[in-house]
Amino acid sequence: MRVKKWLGVLVALTMLLSLAACGGSGGDDGIATLTIVNWKDYGTDDPDFIKVFEEENNCKIVHVYMSSEEELLTKLKTAKDGEIDVVLPNCTILPAAIENGLLLELDTGKIPNFGLMYERFKTQEECFKDGKMYSIPWVWGSTAIAYNTNDFPEAPASVGVLFDPAYTGKIAIRDDYNDAVMLAAIALGQDPNNPDDLEAVKAKLIEQKPLNKTYWKTGDEFSKLFAGNQVSVALMWSGQAAFMKQEGEPIGFVIPKDGAIGWVDTWGIARGSANQELAYKFLDTMISENFQYDWASAGGPAPVNSAAGDRIDPEYAAASGMDEISLNRLYFMQYRTDDVKKTWNELWTEVKAE
Amino acid sequence: MKRKQQLLTLPGVLVLAIFAILPLLIMFVYSFQSDSGAAGVTLENYARFFTKSLYLKLTYRTITSSIAVTAISLAISYPLAYFMAKKFKGMKNILMILVIIPFFTNQLVRVYSWLIFLQDGGVLNKFLQTIGIVSGDLELLFTQKAVVIGLVHAFFPYMVVTIYLALERVDNSLLEASRSLGAGPFTTFRNIVLPLSMPGVVTGIMIVFVPCLGTFVEPRILGGVRGTVIGTVIEDQFFEIFGWNFGAAIAFVLFALVVLSMAGLSHAGRRFENE
Repeated sequence: MRVKKWLGVLVALTMLLSLAACGGSGGDDGIATLTIVNWKDYGTDDPDFIKVFEEENNCKIVHVYMSSEEELLTKLKTAKDGEIDVVLPNCTILPAAIENGLLLELDTGKIPNFGLMYERFKTQEECFKDGKMYSIPWVWGSTAIAYNTNDFPEAPASVGVLFDPAYTGKIAIRDDYNDAVMLAAIALGQDPNNPDDLEAVKAKLIEQKPLNKTYWKTGDEFSKLFAGNQVSVALMWSGQAAFMKQEGEPIGFVIPKDGAIGWVDTWGIARGSANQELAYKFLDTMISENFQYDWASAGGPAPVNSAAGDRIDPEYAAASGMDEISLNRLYFMQYRTDDVKKTWNELWTEVKAE
Repeated sequence: MKRKQQLLTLPGVLVLAIFAILPLLIMFVYSFQSDSGAAGVTLENYARFFTKSLYLKLTYRTITSSIAVTAISLAISYPLAYFMAKKFKGMKNILMILVIIPFFTNQLVRVYSWLIFLQDGGVLNKFLQTIGIVSGDLELLFTQKAVVIGLVHAFFPYMVVTIYLALERVDNSLLEASRSLGAGPFTTFRNIVLPLSMPGVVTGIMIVFVPCLGTFVEPRILGGVRGTVIGTVIEDQFFEIFGWNFGAAIAFVLFALVVLSMAGLSHAGRRFENE
């Protein structure tokens, strides 16, 4: 008897919950809902932006957060039609999303601000398949050299500084197979996205190993090492370096003349999106001069909109590696197959186990 | 009545089955799957582990450092537990709280504290310079030693607790009898206290050694460029390259190792008791 009663309560609860779920996805008052898959605290969940966009387009913005690029793929694959509208794939995962037919082919004619984009982003290789465009670049950044301005009155001129025994015990590169292989390839003059001599890359990294104080992994870990004067030159993210500089750390950031590693985040429209007009409007807003300028000058990543780029204080742009000179020095991270990832990861494990 | 009592264990058994055994089984299935997505059972993940000297080397390194951590923990824990149980009973609670504090500390906070404490020019370095033991940099952080220190700190409380509980159960009248029969403290300890506390020691060894095999946070942060162990390899497989199949295979090799060492330990423990 008692069991039956509890079952009843359980059933009632389940029904209530599913009702609540329905209420969430099907827009109330008939206004359209734009569901965005993005990282948390990454530009689009700024309350001011949401308010303005919702008012201008008479819609409601819903965020679904991802915690990895792989998760984005999974979300796209498992979502029902109409569940997701716009997504933010990184260029490293984008070809997989396009290959699986998860994104809508884009008509750049519906994105007026597309014309203002830097030329190199208009033709970003990963966004295309068979000459058709599926995604548009949004922001970019770099993994390059951060240095302590007390120890380096002038910015290091080459990635060679990270391989220089003169700085033994003062260097820290990141514990990341992709960064490590690309860095060594740059130093060796190989193509960082397709190094042909992996043995040489491995040897270079083993040679570099004893020069490091440590390999860092999280941004937080790096901050502590830098603040504690344990490390004075390192491979570092542009965004974190800019943030630490704002916090008053004596940190400089440079993309040296022989290059560094770059990344690009892009916006695509999910194949099943039920609000395509709204999604296009959103994409256009994302690459508009105002949005891009506001975010970049407030410590965000670098803009793809050239008008926004021109408006940014040149000194700030140069110091955070977002000027055009820096841009043209970068090797953008490309899509890697599982086999390449496996090989590079094993190579890096071998270096670490040495 | 008996049936009813058995029914009471059902929730516990269910929770175990759903949240512990089922996930393990799923990972076990993964470990026999091919990365290429081909259907069927494959041994390629296990073959990769056993044919590449790299992974065997890292496993060996992990085992030796886990043994070091366990031995040091035992050397610290036994005397401490002994004094708490048999000598300074009045200070027992204070000591216990001190021992258990690392338990309640978040793992990352604990590791970062060691980072700051051990770093060159850090607290320990300055102190040793002041009293004249060290002249320059300590060069302790980012070595295997730092990892062992961090792990001992993390795990020795478990050992203190298990040994303490075993010693607490040793009847004091046995000790008095031994003394009244003319045995010295050492003989009493060797013939009575040590054998009777053996179950606690064995449990303590297991409870420290086993989790040590799988750690990756302390080795990565405190070990620096020399910190790579098999645990960090598994972590990389799962979080960096989504090589779940290979990651699962390594985890099960470790699991087999754990089962083997536990069997060996309890066998040794029983033999000791029977002597």
